[in-house]
Formats: sequence, structure tokens, C-alpha cells
Amino acid sequence: MQMLKVEHLYKGFDGKPVLKNVSFELNKGEVLAVIGPSGSGKSTLLRCLNLLEKVDSGNVTVAGETMCYTDQSGKVVYAPGNTLRSIRLKLGMVFQSFNLFPHFSVLRNITEAPMRVAKMPREQAEKAAMELLEKMGMSDKADAYPYQLSGGQCQRVAIARALAMKPDILLFDEPTSALDPQLTIEVLKVIRLLAAEHMTMMVVTHEMNFARDVADRAIFMHDGEILEEGNAREVLTNPTHEKTKAFLRGFNEI
Amino acid sequence: MINFTDWESTTKLLRYLAEGSVTTLKVFFLTLLFSLPLGLIVALGRMSKHWWLREPIKLYILIMRGTPLLLQLVFIYYGPYYILPKWLNFSYDRFVAAILAFSLNYAAYFAEIYRGGIESISLGQYEAAWVLGFTRVQTFFRIVLPQVIKRILPATSNEVITLVKDTALVHTIGVSELFRVAKNEAARTLAVTPIFVAGLFYLVMNWVVTKVFEMAEKKLDYYR
Repeated sequence: MQMLKVEHLYKGFDGKPVLKNVSFELNKGEVLAVIGPSGSGKSTLLRCLNLLEKVDSGNVTVAGETMCYTDQSGKVVYAPGNTLRSIRLKLGMVFQSFNLFPHFSVLRNITEAPMRVAKMPREQAEKAAMELLEKMGMSDKADAYPYQLSGGQCQRVAIARALAMKPDILLFDEPTSALDPQLTIEVLKVIRLLAAEHMTMMVVTHEMNFARDVADRAIFMHDGEILEEGNAREVLTNPTHEKTKAFLRGFNEI
Repeated sequence: MINFTDWESTTKLLRYLAEGSVTTLKVFFLTLLFSLPLGLIVALGRMSKHWWLREPIKLYILIMRGTPLLLQLVFIYYGPYYILPKWLNFSYDRFVAAILAFSLNYAAYFAEIYRGGIESISLGQYEAAWVLGFTRVQTFFRIVLPQVIKRILPATSNEVITLVKDTALVHTIGVSELFRVAKNEAARTLAVTPIFVAGLFYLVMNWVVTKVFEMAEKKLDYYR
């Protein structure tokens, strides 16, 4: 089943093109890795999908609901507000900089949205949050505040917070780029766990080994375009495009 | 000089000053009551992306911060009589004028404090809230504002301490508050003691203000 369909996406900032004719699909239970050099448009692509940025043209469909399409005159048309709201709730997002709410405890970071947005009763929200923390290996930190946690712990709480809204797709924007190798392992372990449970995920990452081992498919982006797309292992071990080869060579040299 | 061993005149002085302090405290609390929320509205307008809202508010803040509060007080109390048609014979309560002038003036200062606080919150906090489905209003009141309050406490405390002392200005339009009472008593008894004691009254009020803000800061110390 198709969870995400993106067709001919264009996006520019102040006339400078950032995404050029981006098209791809994401099926239910699939893990898609998005790789590519900095400034290639990976993060912008994610931000367009979860409505933090508006596209200039193109069609996006999330779990069967049309988010936006381009009409005959070439103008992009977004769905009405309540549809966008329901689409937004189908997408969970994990940021590079965690963006936990510092004034809430770990537990409340996770329960606030289910309670205030999904109107879930407190007990139910807290029970679900504790189960998620258990899964993240962090049940002993429920009452801690974000400033007391390591980066890896923060990111795991951020993942739990996103999962608490039961999204259909989880988007990751370089989830380990702010972490040292040790903490990166903690977070990747959790994402691996979610992959094993067939959570549909789209991960923008610089962790090539992780992308190769965990992702089903991979997209290589360069200068706002998808240059290569396919089976993750294929793309990461036997790339066909020169730019992909050069990019991966750069990584192997480190 | 008042002789403090003269029990009767001492208690009388203290009673007068206490009565004046009630008016001072009324000016203080009513100004806070109106200017704190008004300041938030002004701050949001100041940060608006619509120039027709932002620019007039910038002018308002410029005038309020750029001219003496004393002048504003006199203008707001006496101004309407001269500006409005003479047949209206407009006049209004001097206490109301004082509260109006103080609220408008302090709202401008509080607005800039709020703005500094709001702009210090990272965009990531808003985005994290939006992607979780929070509305803009929920995001502001549940995620942003609580963090803003913690950050602006020191600056706000400064402003509130100034307000306690600024209340003395309302004596110029004839409101009988602590300073006016002290000045009258000083003139009547040909002594500086009432002025000195009034000073102690202000000091005690600000000691309380300082303590309250210390407590508030401590209460919000549970996170960073």
C-alpha cells in the first residue's frame, strides 16, 4: 500500500531552486534513506512534506489524501485547512536538534500532544507514553527534564514523542548529526527496532552503513534532484551515477 | 523635626503615610493589571508581519518610551479638556487618568521585554509543536509563553521596581498618594522626617517586590 506519493516537486527560495522535479513513492512498512551532500535539498524535501515549507509546484499524496496538486495553469493548490491538519497528524517528525520542550518533563513531552491535540484522557496518554519510554529503554527517565539528558536520550524521547501521535509515516531529519558516535548507536538501535516492526520511515541521514543495512530503498540527492534511486544496498554499494560514486567515495575515505 | 518620642504625632504621621500608601498600591496594582496583558498584545502587534499594524505600534512605543512619563501624565489628564470641543466641558477623575497614563506607558516597556523574550525562543520549538498538531494559539500559550516568562523575569522585575517608585509621579496631577502626603506633612511640620519615612515605605514595598520575583525565579528553576 502506498503511503506517500510525490510527483514533480519544485521548490525555490528567493528564486534559487532547491528542489527540482523530485518524484518518489514510499510504501507501507518501507524504510527509505535519503542521502546526499549538504545543501542538496534533503531537509527541504522533508520540510515540504510535513508542511513546514510550501512547495512551488508538484503533487503530494499522503496515505491516500491529497496534500497539494498543481492545476492546469501551473499553480499549486493546497488542500483545505482541516485536510492539511489530518495529513499533518499522519506524519511524525524527528529533528536533528531534538526540539524537546524544556519546560516539560520527559513524560509530559510525550503526553502533551496526545492530550491536547488528540484529546486522549491523561491516564491513557501516560500509559502509552510509559510503554514508548520502555521501548526506548528510558522508563527510568520519565520524570527527568530534557536538560538532564544526554543528546542520545533527548533524541529517543523525541522519537517517542512523535510515535505517541501514532503517525503513519515517521520522518527523520538527520537524527544523529548532533550526536557523538556512542550516542548515535543508541538512536540508530531504536530506529532499527522500529524498522523491524515495519514502521514506515523516511530517514535523511549521513550514516551510510545504517542506510545500507536498515533501509529498503535509498534516494541519492544532488543539487535538488534525485540522481539515483533504488534498493538501498544497491545504491550504497554499487551506485551507477558518477555523482553518487564520488559522494560515497568521500565517505569511505574518512 | 518630629520627635519620635511624641507618640501621638508619630502614629498620626504613620497613619497618614499608610493611607497614602493605599493609593500608591492601587496605582501600582492597577497599572500591572492593565499593562501586563496590554504589553503582550502590543508585543504581538510589534512583531506582526503586516506593516500597517507594526509601524503604528512602533510609533506608539517610541512616543511612550521617548517622552517623560510625567509629561504623558499631565497630557492625559489635562489634554482632553483642551482638545475636545469646549461645550463638552470634559473632565474626568484624576485617579483614572493616572491609571490610564501609567498603563499605556508601562505596556510599551513590557511589550519590548516580551518581544525580547519571544524572539529568543528558537524556531525549532514552534516547528516541533506544529508537526505534533498543536494550533498556533496552543503553541504560543503552552509551549512558547511559559519559556518566555522564565526568561523575562529579571527584566520584568527591574521594570516593576521602577513602577513602585514612578507611582510618586501621580502627585503632580493631584492624586493623594504616599509622596504627596509625605510632602504635605513635611511642609506642615517644617520637618524632613515624613519624606524620610516615606522613603522607607517605598523601600519596604520594593523589598517585597524583590522577594516575590526571587520566589518566582526559584519556582521556575526546575528546568533550563
